[in-house]
Amino acid sequence: MNKYTDVLIIGAGLSGLMAAAKAAELGKKVTLVAKGMGAVGLSSGCIDLWGYNLEDPNQVCQDPLAEIARLCAVNPQHPYARVQDVLEESLLFFRRVCQENGNPYLDHRGGNWLLPTALGTLRPTYLAPASMAVGDLQQVRGVLVVGFRELKDFYPDVLAANLKKSGVLQADCPLNTLMVCAGGGELTPNTLAHRLENPAVVDRIVDQIKPHLLPGAVLLLPPVLGERWDSQVAKNLAEKLGHPVYEVANIPPALPGQRLQQMLLHHVKGQGVEVVIGCTVNGARVADKRCTEVLATGAGKPIKISAKTVILATGSFLGGGLESKPGKAWESIFRLPVEIGHEKWSARDFLSMAGHLFNQMGIKVNEHLRPVDKTGEVIIENVMVTGANLAGCNHPIEKCGNGVAVASGYKAGKLAGEVGE
Amino acid sequence: METDKVQVVVIGGGATGTGILRDLALRGIPAVLVEQGDLAHGTSSRFHGLLHSGARYAVKDKEAARECIEENMILRRIAPNCVELTGGLFVQLPEDDPQYADRWITACAEAGINCEEIDVQELIKKNPVLSPNVTRAFKVPDCAVDGFRILWGNVNSARRYGARVLTYHRVSAIHQSNGRVTGVELINQLNGQKRSVECEMVINAAGPWGGEVAAMAGLEVNVIKDKGTLVAYNHRLMSMVVNRLRPPGDGDIFVPHGTITILGTTSTTVDNPGCTKPGHNEVLELIKIGQEMVPELESYRLIRAFAGVRPLYQENSAAGGRSVTRNFALLDHRQRDGLAGMVSIVGGKFTTFRLMAEKTVDLVASQLGVNAPCRTAREPLTAPVSEELLERGKKVFGVPGAKKAAERLGDSFAQVVEQAEKNPDKGRIFCECEVVSLAEIEHAAHSGDSFTLGDIRRKTRMGMGTCQGTFCSYRILGALSGYPQFAGNHREYLTKFLQKRWKGMRPVLWGQQLREAQLSTGIYCTLFAMERMR
Ligand SMILES: Cc1cc2nc3c(=O)[nH]c(=O)nc-3n(C[C@H](O)[C@H](O)[C@H](O)COP(=O)(O)OP(=O)(O)OC[C@H]3O[C@@H](n4cnc5c(N)ncnc54)[C@H](O)[C@@H]3O)c2cc1C
Ligand SMILES: Cc1cc2nc3c(=O)[nH]c(=O)nc-3n(C[C@H](O)[C@H](O)[C@H](O)COP(=O)(O)OP(=O)(O)OC[C@H]3O[C@@H](n4cnc5c(N)ncnc54)[C@H](O)[C@@H]3O)c2cc1C
Repeated sequence: MNKYTDVLIIGAGLSGLMAAAKAAELGKKVTLVAKGMGAVGLSSGCIDLWGYNLEDPNQVCQDPLAEIARLCAVNPQHPYARVQDVLEESLLFFRRVCQENGNPYLDHRGGNWLLPTALGTLRPTYLAPASMAVGDLQQVRGVLVVGFRELKDFYPDVLAANLKKSGVLQADCPLNTLMVCAGGGELTPNTLAHRLENPAVVDRIVDQIKPHLLPGAVLLLPPVLGERWDSQVAKNLAEKLGHPVYEVANIPPALPGQRLQQMLLHHVKGQGVEVVIGCTVNGARVADKRCTEVLATGAGKPIKISAKTVILATGSFLGGGLESKPGKAWESIFRLPVEIGHEKWSARDFLSMAGHLFNQMGIKVNEHLRPVDKTGEVIIENVMVTGANLAGCNHPIEKCGNGVAVASGYKAGKLAGEVGE
Repeated sequence: METDKVQVVVIGGGATGTGILRDLALRGIPAVLVEQGDLAHGTSSRFHGLLHSGARYAVKDKEAARECIEENMILRRIAPNCVELTGGLFVQLPEDDPQYADRWITACAEAGINCEEIDVQELIKKNPVLSPNVTRAFKVPDCAVDGFRILWGNVNSARRYGARVLTYHRVSAIHQSNGRVTGVELINQLNGQKRSVECEMVINAAGPWGGEVAAMAGLEVNVIKDKGTLVAYNHRLMSMVVNRLRPPGDGDIFVPHGTITILGTTSTTVDNPGCTKPGHNEVLELIKIGQEMVPELESYRLIRAFAGVRPLYQENSAAGGRSVTRNFALLDHRQRDGLAGMVSIVGGKFTTFRLMAEKTVDLVASQLGVNAPCRTAREPLTAPVSEELLERGKKVFGVPGAKKAAERLGDSFAQVVEQAEKNPDKGRIFCECEVVSLAEIEHAAHSGDSFTLGDIRRKTRMGMGTCQGTFCSYRILGALSGYPQFAGNHREYLTKFLQKRWKGMRPVLWGQQLREAQLSTGIYCTLFAMERMR
């Protein structure tokens, strides 16, 4: 099968979907192919921009946008330095798309949220879905952590013990835990979320929680409150209880990230983007520094796609955009170079504050997101690179993964939209 | 300071020490085993898991070979749940000396090891991962053995006869007076408290630490510490143990264990018996050599690398490494050094631990004036799990869960099944990779000698599978937070556990395992911000 399109996006992660949404809005014919789903579905669902102070990496950063401006000055190799011009614009665009689709994302007065996780730690993040946006924990007058008997990945006591240790709550703030039953034996987060879409099940939960409510208490629950991105489960539960209810970040599978992923897929399809999931790109033809054809396989059949612009949003090693062997790493479709340096790929400590080199590996690009070689020369002119595929950022330590994906995806979509006929 | 009294103190909770404890207990000699870490802290959990047929040693060391085949047959009988009857192969490649094969065949026959030449074409058809260049192949009675299960089996059996075990207690001094050992001093490794134990006999079964322990009594015992690195593949690459038919060397044995395969090993002399860091270069070297037998080796997913230290005994300290005998030495320090009440057992192999224990306890019993004969070769380690119990287990844990748990737990399976029958929530599988239920995890947590998630891991195998604990460690911490010993510092428990796994993953970080590493740093750092947890 042969296809022709203006913009071909490879990858259905956050950066690919952002690129698709923007390029489609600008009136381009867009095709998006991906072998699977992206890391955003594994994530908390929140958009991290920048977590901590550059000078004191233990201090949560109050103004991430200003901190990123400083970062770009001291570290021009960071992907943010390539997308700084569109950063705010991309966030506004992202929030507009979420708002339109009934999944509003909230900021915290321009600063970072400090949101609890299932482990009882606090994570700084810039945008949170309404169902996760717990305001200032310092101000709350009580916390009730509610778990489900059917779920084996959420432990109210662990959350409560460590939240207490974190010192964020006021010393006299009551902190209680409760296990409730949703019925139905062992459930995964997805099957539980599905079950909770039934109002009768929510009522049963409400009955179990009500006797334990102290005045002014905020409720923290696992991220299972509803299946779809426009689900009303969290809102209904809060209304019925008369108390605010929030989901906290947890290990995958977790619903908020999946909802965002599904919402964006739904959105781009609505914008006329042709989406082919289950389609693996194996290689490409390049002539005169231009990609003339992309070679893929979908449903067991070969597909050839030519496009004016190709956006490589294939992620890092986890997503499949990068591959490795002992002492070697490369980009999987165009064999773009990946610098590995001379240092060890990983730090001795798993939880090293310096992070691991392997999380920083990726493709170098210029300010137009074109891949460049060591000397800064563009390698392929009609290819742009976005997201976790980019060299130089370390989201596990910096807390910037989805932020880089949103901004770079948006920018690539915008640049692709500007390419003339 | 707390003082205790017992007839015999056994130092070392490896195969040798636990084997000795069981033998002592079966002969009615009161004993306590002290181990500085958890059971299997030393080499006995860091080995290849090959229950040798002896064929590997047949040419060079006939006595060792004969001991292996005898012990191999005994362990199959007394510990069927610990031994996987894989059978073994010796394969010859074109670059191997063909004359060695002939010498080897004769030597096997002399040592009483069955070896049968098989059709190479047929073999490659059945095991397509093997090199098509194999020139000759022979079948031998090698097996895979589960070190953890043997150790728990020894200890559980010994306990039934009244023996005691103190884990996380390090012997820090050996007391003596008038040419006799009178007791040992211990330091609790978890809280730093000291205690002493008075005894008539001390048995030094400290494996690679044997020299250090002997030195505490002012004795010189020369143990060569020979580090070997191994790698674990996430596949059962072949159905049998595969050895290279040539004089023993590096990287020439594959041992399948359940769903994984272990390739090893290297050999480097080290100073520190606790040096168990697997080297990245050693791993690459292993793979290179392994490829000669399995050409596509690079395309298989590695889960982790690990290393252990072989205790090799030598009376004078000249040579090192592989040329030293694998046979063991039993040192009677009364005769050798004029110190009564102390014996050291050094060297040997996992395969021969029972024999080493028998010889040691023969000597100790005679010095204590006990005539009871050794019973460890005949009495089963655990009672077999009945069909009826297994069926009950399947109802609560599912078929794979019940089978694996029955094999792991042996005698204790009944208790775990009962727990899950009483409370169906406990039948849920918490470690999906190794199919471990909550009931089994709680059983391990209850055992009285589990203080860390690592202790639970060794008892249950949770976190040993493909995901290397990324998912189940967090989950299990949650499930156990009701236990006083796990209610404390979650950050510390989890960090320690993840760090241990990390040590094994680091040398194999490429391909699939690099993806796994991005997933787990994504979860614990990006998502949980655990690097900054207080
Ligand atoms: C466990 C975890 C939790 C995280 N939590 C957060 C969080 O809470 N907040 C935050 O801001 N960030 C978080 N991150 C980071 C963030 O999610 C990622 O950095 C970001 O989503 C990357 O998006 P991406 O689009 O660049 O790549 P990916 O999401 O990796 O997408 C890559 C896409 O390319 C496709 N693909 C790859 N190769 C091919 C090929 N050859 N042919 C066809 N398709 C291909 C893949 O199937 C996939 O669809 C987390 C990351 C992880 C791993
Ligand atoms: C890489 C490798 C692969 C191997 N493969 C095989 C194989 O496939 N088949 C086979 O049969 N053999 C194999 N071996 C050999 C076998 O593993 C060892 O011979 C055997 O495990 C030794 O057991 P042990 O009980 O003597 O020593 P260990 O298991 O080391 O036990 C000694 C214990 O003493 C404890 N200890 C030390 N000092 C003190 C103290 N002061 N106080 C309290 N406790 C103390 C230690 O913590 C340790 O747990 C292999 C060895 C290596 C290194």
